[in-house]
Parts: sequence; structure tokens; C-alpha cells
Amino acid sequence: MLKKLLFIGVVLLAGLHGTMATVEGEKAEIFMTDIGNKVINLLTDKSISQQERASQFQHILETKFDVRAIGKFVLGRYWKHASKEEKEKFLALFKASTVASYATRFSEYSSEKFEVVGSRTEKDGGVTVLTRIVRPNGQAILIDWKIFEKKGELRIYDVILEGISMSITQRSEYAAVIQQGGGKVQALITALEKKTGKPIS
Amino acid sequence: MLTLFQPFRLKEISKDLGSAPGMKLLDGNSESNIKRLSLLKTSIAFLIFFSLVLSPSYAQQDAWSYTDDEQHPGKQETLDAEDWAEIMDSPPSAEDYDPFESFNRFIFGLNEFIDMILIDPLSRMYHDLVPEFGRERVGYALRNLSEPVVFANNILQGDLEGARVTLGRFVVNSTLGLAGLFDVSTDLDLPYKKEDFGLTLASWGVEAGPYLVLPILGPSNARDAWGRAGDYAMDPINWWSYHYKKGFYSYIRTGVQVLDAKTENLELMEELKDNSIDYYATLRAWYYERRKDLMHEKEEREALDTPRPDDDDE
Repeated sequence: MLKKLLFIGVVLLAGLHGTMATVEGEKAEIFMTDIGNKVINLLTDKSISQQERASQFQHILETKFDVRAIGKFVLGRYWKHASKEEKEKFLALFKASTVASYATRFSEYSSEKFEVVGSRTEKDGGVTVLTRIVRPNGQAILIDWKIFEKKGELRIYDVILEGISMSITQRSEYAAVIQQGGGKVQALITALEKKTGKPIS
Repeated sequence: MLTLFQPFRLKEISKDLGSAPGMKLLDGNSESNIKRLSLLKTSIAFLIFFSLVLSPSYAQQDAWSYTDDEQHPGKQETLDAEDWAEIMDSPPSAEDYDPFESFNRFIFGLNEFIDMILIDPLSRMYHDLVPEFGRERVGYALRNLSEPVVFANNILQGDLEGARVTLGRFVVNSTLGLAGLFDVSTDLDLPYKKEDFGLTLASWGVEAGPYLVLPILGPSNARDAWGRAGDYAMDPINWWSYHYKKGFYSYIRTGVQVLDAKTENLELMEELKDNSIDYYATLRAWYYERRKDLMHEKEEREALDTPRPDDDDE
């Protein structure tokens, strides 16, 4: 409760003092530049194994993203219907499948440049950092990162690729899987297990 | 520039690839293809009309998402106060509005099949035979040829600033950019902004309507399907080629558009497919989000609908 009041206080102050909001933006931009560099180093380091790379990605995911909040959002209205066990299973599988999908994406990496272009404070108190990945042929892909502060540290809550929110589209996809499985969250868990090849007992 | 939905927009009448020189996939001269073309257009128009007239009213759009799921078909379940509170709590997923889902999935499967036996192999050949530089030139030239339609839509939307930019792009790229082969306008601060008649209709307040998967053309919705028809009718290249009875220039252009769009997005689409459990649902969501983004509505939505921190709960 106190934390909430403090947070609201900070947001109000940010509204009164424009500079405070800018600092937030700058902080977030530095945060993203940092992550960008980490990831690029990871990708260009040919000496580490695929396993090691995947586990480092997982570490980045766990420390720089808020996987629980994203997972909860992505499960949408089914979160409330899920048992505690289902929630835990789902989150573990969600994490594994996210790591796997980014690992395949990045395996084709070859000297793309990651640039932080700017940032924008949002009405809901978060900051969107605008970045760009420039391919060797000059074409650029725009990626926005939605960042909030949680317990004193910055975390990523959504990735928006060319204007398309990954969380929203994933939520839609998972909802379809659950519906096809008769409205049971277990259907999604089973599908994710198949996808990642990792049964969670 | 990621033109994700170019393949769906531009996969026009690709069966008419048959009449392009060298292709013996479909028999017949261009006349019978024109007849087939008008039959196809008529059936698509009928399908869309059918869906607009007979689809559930938009007022029921919210109810649709909730009364059906988690219930056995045919079984009525009363919702108590708690359920209703929960339903009202989470906003309806408009992106899932798909009353013709089973039919759409069927067409989707059909499209995947056509893709597999025809479009995909062709685009891989194109990718392997033509170097990146060449493919880029083709892509830019095609985009330049589509600027007149973009211009028309800018005007129809009352977007004079956009119209100015589009006109500038067309003139500069056609001259300095050597008939559109080079996109010099972007560097001159005249960026490309795609507009089509579907977006124009949206700006006039027309709702998207039910999600539709069109044969060959791919993901769409009731409004955007009419949009494609409108764009096709507005395209001066099509006027020119029909008027001068050189129909096959129009077909060649369409064919190349299909190839270009498909090849450019080959990796992305494959990756999307491999990473999704339900590719149909993924594309449906992507299409919806993409259209929303093109309509500039995102600013309002963004603030409401993203994951955000909350107190850890169970």
C-alpha cells in the first residue's frame, strides 16, 4: 500500500516536473542500450556453445523482463481460472518457449546493428524505448520496448515489433489454443510441452 | 522496411500467373482468364456481402467472446454476478472476432497448400536466382508503381499532408530514382506510408467486421476485402493495361508483386510459423494488430492494454 502511494507520488511529481520524466526516459534508454550490447556480445561470441548461449538468454529474460507479469497477461482471462499448479507449469513453459523462439531468431544474426532511437513516457507511468535493428543491407526494423519500474529496478513488459505488440498477439494465440482445447488451460500446457519438448512433471 | 502484409495485399489474382509468358500451369488465353477473373471477383464479392449482411451485429461483439468459451456446445450455463464481474473486468478481445472460424481455417489450409506447391518454390527460385540488389530494385520499383493508389487514398481520407508526401515520393523516385528503382525520397524526409482503401474505409468509420481468410489473398476482414476490390479498381496500371488490351502486363506485375512480397518475408513468416502453436490464430492476431497500427489508433490503445507490474498474487 505504501509502495503504491510512493509510486503514485513519483508519477505525480513526474507530471509536475517535466525533467523528472525525462530522466526516467534517459534511464530506460541506457537500460536498453546496455541490454542491446549484452545480447550482441552474446551473439557474436562464437566461442560459447549453443547451450551456454541459451542459458544466458534465459538469465537475461529472468533479470530484465518481468516474465510473471507478461505470462499472466498473455494467459488473459484464463489466469483466474487456472490452479496454482497450472500457473507455475505455464510460467515455466512460457519462459522456455520464449527463450527457444528468440534463440532461433538470433541464430541468423550477422552484424546487425542495434540502435536506441529515443523514448516516450506513457500515460500509464511506463516508458517506451524506441529502438531499431539495422540490417547489413540498410533496412531497419523498428522495435519498441515497454518498460516499467518494479521494486526499484527497470523491467521490460512488452516488445512491440513494427507496431505489433508481442504480448497481445501471443495472448490471442494462446486464447485460441485454450478454446480449441475446450476452455482448459491444460490444453495450452500440453501444447507448450510438445513445442518445447520439455515435459514438466 | 518490413512489409509484412504485402503478401496478403498483393497476392492478387495469382492464378493469372498462368497467362504470363513461359508459364504453362494454366491453359487458356487471356480472355478465358478474364472470365475466370470476373467469376472469382463475383464470388468474393458475394462472400463478403454475405458476411456483412448475415454476420452477428457488432453490438453483440462483446457477448460473442464470452458466452461460447468454456461451455459445451448446446449447454446453457447461467453466469452469476462473480462471472459477470470478471468478464467486465477484462476487455473483450476484438482481435479474436472470428464467427466464421471453421470456414476460415479451411481456406487457410487451402492457402497453405497452394503456398507449398506453388508460391513457395517459385519464391525460393527467385531468391536464389536473383541477387539481393536486383530484388531490392524490383521491390522499390513495384512500390513506386503503387504510389498513385496510395495518393488516391490519401485524398479520400482527407489527408493532404500525406498526399503531398506521396506525390513528392512518386515524382522524385520516378525521376531521380530512375523509374522507381531507387528510393531516394526516404532520405529526403519523404517516408513511405502505406495507405489502401481498407484503411480509407476505416477512416470513414467503417468497422472491420468479421475476420476473413480470402482464397489466395490470405488474412483480411469484411471491410478490408472491399478495400482490396476498391484498390484494384482505382489502380491506373490496371486501367491502362485493360484499355490497351495488354492485360498481361498487369498480370506480370501482379505476379512479380507476389514473388517480391513473399520472398522478402520468407524468413519472418517461417520463423513465425515455427514458433507458434496455432499459426492460424497467430496470423489472425498479427493482421488485426497490423491494421490497427496502420490506422494510428495505437496511441490510445497502448496505454490500456499491455502487461504491467502488479502486486504478486497467486
